[in-house]
Amino acid sequence: MALNPDIYKKIVAAKLYMDRRFHESLCLEQISRKACISRFHFHRLFTRIYQKTPHRYLTQRRIEHAEQLLTDKNLSVTEICNAVGFESMGSFSGLFKKETGVGPSQFRNREKEKKRQALQTPGLFIPHCFIQSSETNL
Amino acid sequence: MITKMSHTTLYVTDQEKAYDFYVTKLGFKVNTDAVMGNGFRWLTVNPPDQPELEIALLTPLTGGMGFDEEAKAAFKILLDKGVLGAGVLYTPNCHATYEELKAKGVVFKSEPKEQFYGIEAVITDGCGNWFSMTGPKQP
Repeated sequence: MALNPDIYKKIVAAKLYMDRRFHESLCLEQISRKACISRFHFHRLFTRIYQKTPHRYLTQRRIEHAEQLLTDKNLSVTEICNAVGFESMGSFSGLFKKETGVGPSQFRNREKEKKRQALQTPGLFIPHCFIQSSETNL
Repeated sequence: MITKMSHTTLYVTDQEKAYDFYVTKLGFKVNTDAVMGNGFRWLTVNPPDQPELEIALLTPLTGGMGFDEEAKAAFKILLDKGVLGAGVLYTPNCHATYEELKAKGVVFKSEPKEQFYGIEAVITDGCGNWFSMTGPKQP
């Protein structure tokens, strides 16, 4: 059964709220208030629309931002854990590894190495036919 | 034996605008962003659930792509008109994604409509391409 179009707007408003405030300590009550519906209905509708629970979605947004901070900033892993909204290093590391396959430090080292190689020898990442084209035309 | 497609190319008017659309708005992940000494920028992204598929966002309008002036002019016409249908983007929920992307300033050619194959909207990337954005009919 299709949902009323207004429902999509409400659930999206709550999702965008999570996107802006994921680094804060958010509870289901707070988030569902943004959608102006009860916690129970919000949880059910969000899960139906996005095929993941609000908690899983929030965790993934936090991990994605952690990936960005690990790549771009010189913060410690503990600082990043707190900056993205996790309260415990244990749960942060465990969930990070579950989502990405590697721990936070390993991820950081891998991305640093990849960036270094892209700067020093960009040709390593580019199919040779594209490099050849660029060299004959610039 | 060819077993899959590993890379595909999207021609765009501007790589910075393309970065804003595909990475910032759609949430694609940057795979590689490498600039050659001659200025050629190899920018590739992965859709969130397809880490093995690299989409190269390349501009044919400046030098560095192997196109002569006639080809560049032809590309410019097509990209400026926005007539290139580049493929189908899958979403688990067309209505919700439509509302969210509209709120982020993405331009659609049509809003979600039910078709026999699912619910479809038509989305533009602002860099010369349009896509069908399709998701399943809701249970």
